[in-house]
Amino acid sequence: MELFDNLALGFSVAFTFQNLFYALLGCLLGTLIGVLPGIGPVATIAMLLPITFHLPPTASLIMLAGIYYGASYGGSTTSILVNLPGESASVVTCLDGYQMARNGRAGAALSISAVGSFFAGTVGTAIIVMFAEPLTRMAQKFGPADYCSLMALGLVAAVILASGSVIKAIAMIFLGLLFGLVGTDVNTGAQRFTFDLPELSDGIDFAPIAMGLFGIAEIVVNLERHLTRTGGTIKVNSLWPTAEEIRRAIPAALRGTFLGAALGVLPGGGPTLGAFSSYTLEKKISKNPSQFGKGAVEGVAAPESANNAAAQTSFIPMLTLGIPSNAVMALMVGAMIIQGIQPGPEVMTKKPDLFWGMIASMWIGNAMLVIINLPMIGMWVKLLTVPYRFLAPAILLFCCIGAYSLQNSTFHVMQVAVFGVLGYIFVRLGCEGAPFLLGLVLGPQMEEYFRRAMLLSRGDPMVFLERPISLGLLITTALLLVLMALPSFKKAREEAFQEES
Amino acid sequence: MVVQWPYGFGPNITMKIARFGEASLNRFLSKDFLSGLLFIGFGLLALYFGQKLALGTPVRMGPGYVPRMLSLVLVGLGVLVCIVALVSGSDPVEKPKWKPITLVTIGIVCFALLFERAGLLPALVVLILIASLANEEFKLVEVIGNMVALSVLCTVVFKVGLGMNISILRGVW
Repeated sequence: MELFDNLALGFSVAFTFQNLFYALLGCLLGTLIGVLPGIGPVATIAMLLPITFHLPPTASLIMLAGIYYGASYGGSTTSILVNLPGESASVVTCLDGYQMARNGRAGAALSISAVGSFFAGTVGTAIIVMFAEPLTRMAQKFGPADYCSLMALGLVAAVILASGSVIKAIAMIFLGLLFGLVGTDVNTGAQRFTFDLPELSDGIDFAPIAMGLFGIAEIVVNLERHLTRTGGTIKVNSLWPTAEEIRRAIPAALRGTFLGAALGVLPGGGPTLGAFSSYTLEKKISKNPSQFGKGAVEGVAAPESANNAAAQTSFIPMLTLGIPSNAVMALMVGAMIIQGIQPGPEVMTKKPDLFWGMIASMWIGNAMLVIINLPMIGMWVKLLTVPYRFLAPAILLFCCIGAYSLQNSTFHVMQVAVFGVLGYIFVRLGCEGAPFLLGLVLGPQMEEYFRRAMLLSRGDPMVFLERPISLGLLITTALLLVLMALPSFKKAREEAFQEES
Repeated sequence: MVVQWPYGFGPNITMKIARFGEASLNRFLSKDFLSGLLFIGFGLLALYFGQKLALGTPVRMGPGYVPRMLSLVLVGLGVLVCIVALVSGSDPVEKPKWKPITLVTIGIVCFALLFERAGLLPALVVLILIASLANEEFKLVEVIGNMVALSVLCTVVFKVGLGMNISILRGVW
């Protein structure tokens, strides 16, 4: 069995001391930032991107992945204990998790959420293993025109999940694509939008943009809101749930896992969408929906499983096709490019150790997280008492040093400042940063494929409609755009985001 | 007297009337209208700075082909966003608080200027001081404590741990 050979290879890579260490480090960091409000996985991964340059590729990706799924574990802890979601995927957990804690069931809520997350993570990893090969094989048949259409689909699909106006989100994609073109043109060597700055001739570095757009802007907004911690900490008693709680949690966790896993694969999907949808589903199918919001076990088990399953499966489009589906995945693509790896179907065939090692490490990481989170719960809760006025300058400092270390140049630090201001303007104007980031990452590749496709077709744009794969992808893209313009869909989308805010 | 509007129309109509009554400037200071202007601005900038790039032909595209295409679409989308904002209205922009964004930006710029010239320590002290001023609860003792803790942490992690080639204090270490 090829599959088992691959998995064996993966585990042999993941179980080396170095990779175990970086998986643990990633999980610890992820839990930390998941617990701390005011800093999310996107900002953290952006901050650490330059440092990963000093690490071997496999270790750095293992660590960054650990931060991503670790954050969803950590976020649930604070949601349950202090009613403060550490990050957006755990917002729904607050509704019932905190109520359970107030009813004296904090320990049970924590262990249900951790075990549910672990189960979902395991299933998610298994799904990656099953889908990775067929999808990769399919992607290898893609020509330049097909790739170009696939990227268009990925970008448009990501817009559905940006809150607010659809046209604005599409405009943000184009802005991102345009920023992605800064630098030397690959085909002709011409300098584009470099303003005679030698630092820009290799293109705008991705990490300072992400740091400015997500890190700095986030800090500034938090400082404005005068972020303060409130809410008394609840004592955690026995971690064991009762038999009744287990009986109710298991089916909910199963439903959450599969819904989350399915939504995670979609372009634009991810943990937050998974958590919200599964909570809504549980409430709809429950015999007594009035329990929800008052400490229903299902309301913790389902979204917690869903967000973790989705966190895992959202790796699928990135690993197999090289198309990131959300901002974190865009950063993972950035991390691969820093290491000189072009994400796409070749990764699995050319670097099987990296590919399978990373997948195996995800499962190991999920197991580590259960241990990190349950027995060590007290330590994480204590961290919550660190006031934001200490954290904000520290995060700023790490951003600055990280940006500098990218190429030992203060030019990148200045870039962080510039994009911090731009990011702040985006926040104030209600423009989403994620579509911009996706456009930025895909811009250079998309131009490459577009020019190659047009060259092969001798300048005939019909090539995008003549190839069946490309045509299918473009039709799907068009359908999505039409769907988004429909009034009923618009309303449903707005309602979904209402709940989020 | 309360007038009962047909369901679904009441709040909308009253809101629209209220909007009409306000200074018409508010329509132009809405989030969407300003975003539209931002997109148009970036599009025009890209067109201006990209005008010297050769366009080439669709078969052999020059370096300017794709940027020109993208900028034109961006300008078009910007115009569309503006029109939609004027026709159907959008949320007004909240008044920005200048202090945090200005101080944070100044802090980063100072760090960039000091880091290579003076070393990590002076850059760190200035950054933390300026960034802490952005917070309303400024206590000097706490800020100094934070500086000390972070200097030790950064020195240990970046200089000793990762072995980065940075000087802590220029000319000294």
